[in-house]
Amino acid sequence: MDIATGEFLGFLNLTWQAVAMLVIGGVLIWLGIAKKVEPVLLVPIGFGCVLANIPLGGAAEAGGFLAVLREAGIKTEIFPLLIFIAIGAMIDFEPFLQRPYTILLGAAAQFGIFGTFFLTYLLGDGWLHVLDFSLQDAASIGIIGSADGPTSIYVATVLQSKYTAAIVVAAYSYMALVPIIQPPIIKAMCSKEERALKMTSVAGTISQRRKILFPIITVLVVGLLAPKATPLIGCLMFGNLLRECGVVERLFLAAQNELANIVTILLGITVGGMMSGTEFLRPETILVFILGIVAFSLDTVAGVLLGKLMSVLSGRKVNPMIGACGISAFPMSSRVVQKLGLEANPHNHLLMHAAGANVAGQIASVVAGGVMLMLVPMFI
Amino acid sequence: MLNALWIVLLGMAIIFAVLGILLLVMILLAKLVRPRDKQEKKDR
Repeated sequence: MDIATGEFLGFLNLTWQAVAMLVIGGVLIWLGIAKKVEPVLLVPIGFGCVLANIPLGGAAEAGGFLAVLREAGIKTEIFPLLIFIAIGAMIDFEPFLQRPYTILLGAAAQFGIFGTFFLTYLLGDGWLHVLDFSLQDAASIGIIGSADGPTSIYVATVLQSKYTAAIVVAAYSYMALVPIIQPPIIKAMCSKEERALKMTSVAGTISQRRKILFPIITVLVVGLLAPKATPLIGCLMFGNLLRECGVVERLFLAAQNELANIVTILLGITVGGMMSGTEFLRPETILVFILGIVAFSLDTVAGVLLGKLMSVLSGRKVNPMIGACGISAFPMSSRVVQKLGLEANPHNHLLMHAAGANVAGQIASVVAGGVMLMLVPMFI
Repeated sequence: MLNALWIVLLGMAIIFAVLGILLLVMILLAKLVRPRDKQEKKDR
């Protein structure tokens, strides 16, 4: 290092990639603070991105604190799993338990994952070879359609995708964009009469015994049938058991507050730290973002199609729009359907029905992640 | 490409199978647990 030429000064070592990433980091922070777009995630991610791209800062280089966090929390898959405990503690599965059939809407809405996976693989190593997308990359990009940040991180990390950072940023950003992505698709697929269709409310509440048995049985059923999903569904249901068992209030509160907040900070800043210019600024990254929209759109289309089928089979007792909530973007998707329902009929309150499909989608997306992890290695 | 198609078909089939079984178990659970809750209320 030459002191006379000032090589130790960061700004003299700025590359165009570093400048671009500093701008992107700034935009993410701005979106979080000024536009309130997923601020809990975008502010730490944006700040991590800024830290990682300051020349000579070393935060994201080997031994730097962001690199240490990446090794300890992302590569070991610990952060997404801890987040799942927190999510489980936050979610009330009662709307789903009152309408268990909504799990099928959750299943249908996972088509976005597999459809996007197929499309991505065709663009990459599968056929066109236009971009550098291996089978693992295609699966990791498809999983953006799970509309679930932790599942996306988990799958992309286990499959060792080259695009993990872009996938995670896309997954979290698009969850905030659900109110923009879903309504035009739903309106195009459902007539005003269909959107106005009222659903009867479900009588009675779910007993505490059922609420306690639900997470235990779900882990057993999913774990025994799709074992690769066990860490994800296990953590989700463990968090939910803490919530519902009623005897560990301290742990339940810690899971949904302290654990969620601490891991979100660490996860956010670590993901931001993965956004180095050389890794992030490639044509494939732009395509990852485009394919993310495709995944969310296909999720919505497939969910609404099954919703329509259920509506016909039930004699118009199911509003087909709730199929769009099979995507696990909870609670944004439920709110979208509630709003569209009220627009079509001011007395049409679909929120709880939509929430049932939405939390069912959370379970379905975790299963889809496990299924992807199970199938992809079999075909490599 | 054929591999990817297999993953799509098998993946969706497994998801529907797993969640379908979970649905059946949930329906069974609802039938098994509800009567006992009613009994509890009667006892009170």
